[in-house]
Amino acid sequence: MPEPCARTSRLPAWLPWFIGRLGYGLLTAWVISLVVFIATQALPSDPARVILGPEAPLESVLTLREQLGLNRPILVQYFSWLGQVLRADLGISLDSNQPVASIIFSRFSNTLALLAGVLVLVVPLALSIGVSLALRRDSRLDRFGLSALIFLKATPGFLLAIGLVLLFSMPQVNLLPAVSILDPDKALWQQLEYLLLPIFALSLSSLPYLARMVRASMIEALDSDYVSAARLRGIAEWRIVWRHTLPNALVPAIQGVALTLRTLIGGALLAEVIFSYPGIGTQLNSAIQMRDLPLVQGVVLVITLGVVLINLVADLLTVLLTPKLRTARRATLIQRNRRGIQSWWRRPAAKAP
Amino acid sequence: MPNEFSRRVFLGNSLAVGGGLLLGSSLLSGCGGGEPAVVGAISRPTQPVRGGRLRVGIIDGDQAGNLDAHKPSGGGIIRGWALYSKFWEWNDDVSTRLGLAEFAEPNADASAWTIRIKPGLEFHHGKSITADDMLFSILRLTDPKLASPFAGLVGAIDRQALRKLDERTIEIRFKQGRSFFPLDETLIAFGGIVPTDYHPVSNPVGAGPYRLKSFVPGQRALFSRFENYFKPNQPYADELEIIEFKDQVSRVAALRAGQIDVASGVQAEHSALIKADPRLQLVVSPTTSFSGFNLNTAKAPFQDERVRQAFRLLADRQELIGRGLNGFGRIANDLYSPQDPTYNHAIAQRGHDLDQARSLLRQAGASDLRVELTTTANEVNAALVFAQQAKKAGVEVKVTPVDSSVFNGPQKEQWLMSPGSTPARGFLATGLHNDAPLAIYNRSNFRDERFSELFTQALGQPDLERRKQLVHEAQAIQHQRGGLLIWGFTDVLDAASSKVGGLHGEQTTFASWRFDSLWLNHA
Amino acid sequence: MFYARWWREPQIRRGALVTLAIVLLALFGPWLAPHAPTDMVGGVYGTPASDAPLGHDFLGHDVLSRLLNGGLSILWMSLAAAAIALIVGTVLGLLAGLSRQRLDQAITWLADVWLAFPDLILVLLIVSMLGRAPWLIVLTVAIAFTPGVIRLARGSAVAVASQEFVEAAQMMGFSRTRILLREILPNVLTPLLVHFGNMLTWGIGMLSGLSYLGYGVAPPAADWGLMINENQAGLLVQPWAVLAPALLIGVFAYGTNIFAEGIARHSAGERR
Repeated sequence: MPEPCARTSRLPAWLPWFIGRLGYGLLTAWVISLVVFIATQALPSDPARVILGPEAPLESVLTLREQLGLNRPILVQYFSWLGQVLRADLGISLDSNQPVASIIFSRFSNTLALLAGVLVLVVPLALSIGVSLALRRDSRLDRFGLSALIFLKATPGFLLAIGLVLLFSMPQVNLLPAVSILDPDKALWQQLEYLLLPIFALSLSSLPYLARMVRASMIEALDSDYVSAARLRGIAEWRIVWRHTLPNALVPAIQGVALTLRTLIGGALLAEVIFSYPGIGTQLNSAIQMRDLPLVQGVVLVITLGVVLINLVADLLTVLLTPKLRTARRATLIQRNRRGIQSWWRRPAAKAP
Repeated sequence: MPNEFSRRVFLGNSLAVGGGLLLGSSLLSGCGGGEPAVVGAISRPTQPVRGGRLRVGIIDGDQAGNLDAHKPSGGGIIRGWALYSKFWEWNDDVSTRLGLAEFAEPNADASAWTIRIKPGLEFHHGKSITADDMLFSILRLTDPKLASPFAGLVGAIDRQALRKLDERTIEIRFKQGRSFFPLDETLIAFGGIVPTDYHPVSNPVGAGPYRLKSFVPGQRALFSRFENYFKPNQPYADELEIIEFKDQVSRVAALRAGQIDVASGVQAEHSALIKADPRLQLVVSPTTSFSGFNLNTAKAPFQDERVRQAFRLLADRQELIGRGLNGFGRIANDLYSPQDPTYNHAIAQRGHDLDQARSLLRQAGASDLRVELTTTANEVNAALVFAQQAKKAGVEVKVTPVDSSVFNGPQKEQWLMSPGSTPARGFLATGLHNDAPLAIYNRSNFRDERFSELFTQALGQPDLERRKQLVHEAQAIQHQRGGLLIWGFTDVLDAASSKVGGLHGEQTTFASWRFDSLWLNHA
Repeated sequence: MFYARWWREPQIRRGALVTLAIVLLALFGPWLAPHAPTDMVGGVYGTPASDAPLGHDFLGHDVLSRLLNGGLSILWMSLAAAAIALIVGTVLGLLAGLSRQRLDQAITWLADVWLAFPDLILVLLIVSMLGRAPWLIVLTVAIAFTPGVIRLARGSAVAVASQEFVEAAQMMGFSRTRILLREILPNVLTPLLVHFGNMLTWGIGMLSGLSYLGYGVAPPAADWGLMINENQAGLLVQPWAVLAPALLIGVFAYGTNIFAEGIARHSAGERR
């Protein structure tokens, strides 16, 4: 959506672009909610029967369908749901009779805590591993580190998780609780020990991707002309690494972190199942199994908004950290290169003799 | 049919359950038959210890569950044991004794029951229990608007004819002046007594051993001791916590790691592991809860009695116990409720006879038969074993696992062949679950004129000897041409920390749900 | 020539050999298996013995026989999912990259929306709506992979199309088809092939994870992911019934991944 170039001197250059992106993201979320709403109608068995149970006589099922408005045309149902959502009302769960918003709030904050934990663990780790391997490129340590990362990347995450649960349920290993049964009456930070194993398992599977990405972009940056020029000028090596190379290498890592988060936000299902962790993934799975449509729609909405938000923040950070993009005169320039940012800012270096 | 309150519903219902999957039918098990047994730590205090928080882990599948006394879903049945008391209670041998009631008897022809509760009883919120609450509870259970799946069990009750005799006494009569004898067995399970201001979400109070403190559906429920419980000095623990798990493997990990004290209904596969752990005890309950298959008599080929007989003959029951239940169970003779005094022990055990099965199939013109066995994912084990056995007689059984919401959905009486089970109950109550006229889950669609007649007469026959005669003939019919292939009785395994007392094996399926007698040596 | 040079890269060689070994095991395993995968020949969780080197599983099936029979499903499913995604994604991506107009915008937007759609929701919804037939699962995974391929193919095509030799070809008046097939396709092939290897790795993890959750191949069929699920309860009694399939899944994923890494490294080395 190329925004008209309404740049005034006071506003930052990226703002119109950002607003465009925001609208674009919201549009995406809306389309997905519409698709999912229609898809849920195709699920076998219907909500009225879920509420009343399998023994309910047909008349009561039909009456309830009428009361719930389930026999209205699908688009009418969708827009009435959308209207509710815009008034910040996600409805009542059919299965548990609780407000959908409060269920999602507690489950989603559990998931967010997990994501935050993974970030706190993985980002510094990936940076230090990536940078140190890049600085010792092609050494024995580098080769060994790379093989280990590849091995970790290839191992399916649920196998890692199962291994961890088994290890920690052994009577001899009493370090951490094997299963993450959170106490909903306590604040999350008071029971951090339950978060550790799932965080650890998820971190192990997301580490290789990020670490290798940092390594690759570090190597690329170290090979670039300005680093050679800096070396010629006799700038200290640590300064080159920390002041000149790393910030550049960070930019692709932001997109990498965003990708990791996007995968984890809904995709931690396996880890949640294995550790009995009450996150949003298992909630969605149960809701679909129980045909709890208001809950399904609420969860989908929250997850897609989350994905949209992550993308948005990642793109914004990328733009702000990349000088050429930050000061770009034309929003369309950013637009076109949003996805191709990496190749775009690298190209001049690569073409140089 | 896995009735809603069949225990296995709690033992791994979810399709997303990691390890609980596929293991359902092997959950209920025990060692061969015989006396209840406790395996594990021996040197424990025998006197109940008061105080502490008892943490019980249950398996709840995908359903968030509720607290409804009369229409429980998911773990709601287990939580109901903490929240609600009833007129009767179960004995260890699946007979009933008085609970809240001090008097509950039918008249001479069982056309009316008089029930009087003990004096001075109270609900959790301090209101005393009156005849109005008693009537309200029965009316709520049978309310067509509530549409409780369990209303059918007491479908004979005439809602209009319920009468209050005095402040503590009510009278129950039955539709069309009929007689109804097994009221205790049918009203006990879901007839929790609740006050007239009861609401399952906003005011879930009853007269059970624990009162509700907090409830997070799908995760856990916390209860505190009800000081005015009708049994003096009980319950023992200060607090009870019921924690829901999605699968068996993570729950056993939690038990071993000391995160829970009791695991209600564990898989047989875990028995060796639990026995080997000195900090744990394994309690085996040799129940008369049956496992079998429903053969849909309304559909070809099972319309033909000979095909039903052939299927019953080609089942190798001992192998089904061995593989399907991991050896924890006893073989059955296509009949339920062997503990009932009216059970017909004269009917010979049906054997495993492939030749006869083949010849019956030939006579019925059904050689090279292909049938579909629809099952939930957690009852798949026995189905797979049976499919292998059927293959030997040239019958191809295709096992199709479906979601539990599909399995119990609108098509529930349409499956050609499906697993069936009912927790231990008397003959009449079990029949009302399965193949009696007006049964709540008649997945075999068995409707036999003579059988219905006998069953209806037995329902109204309070005299044991006369009822025995009726039941004997009814069971002969079931054995000859019924739609149930009942191959085994399953044992229930409960595991607990050795600090838990008051847990003992019994013939019922709910040894670990008797929260008023469990205690924790928390010191 | 192209391939002979690849073969000299040790990582590619290793990856190809490991993958090939697993493929052969999966393809010819059913012939080698001593028993049918559904035959109940031993005790429940029978430990390894001379006639059953890996013991027996939760119903007394021979673990070795199930292992030998259970590779085919994950093999064809992961290959099919990755191949479908590759073909559909490449076609759409090239179409977008070379048309550079409305169509480009439309396809890019579609891919973006598609990417924001969490895989999990997609899989769960499709499975609950349409059932858990293996081909549906394959399709679902392929659908989840496609937008990534679209973006990659479009990006590479755009990059290649702006280079001198394509411009030269255009000026020489070659047809669009010829330019597409002779100039552009070979140049986007390598990144796509690397991506294909990565998709195989992800696919193996995803599909085995799904059958671990109970979606995908239905019992009594043998499948490595399903075997892990079925036998998890007996892990401490008869670990082989879980460890053996887990190991094979891991090795398979590792092989495909090393292969992809090798190609990536090789082509990076060439460019340098």
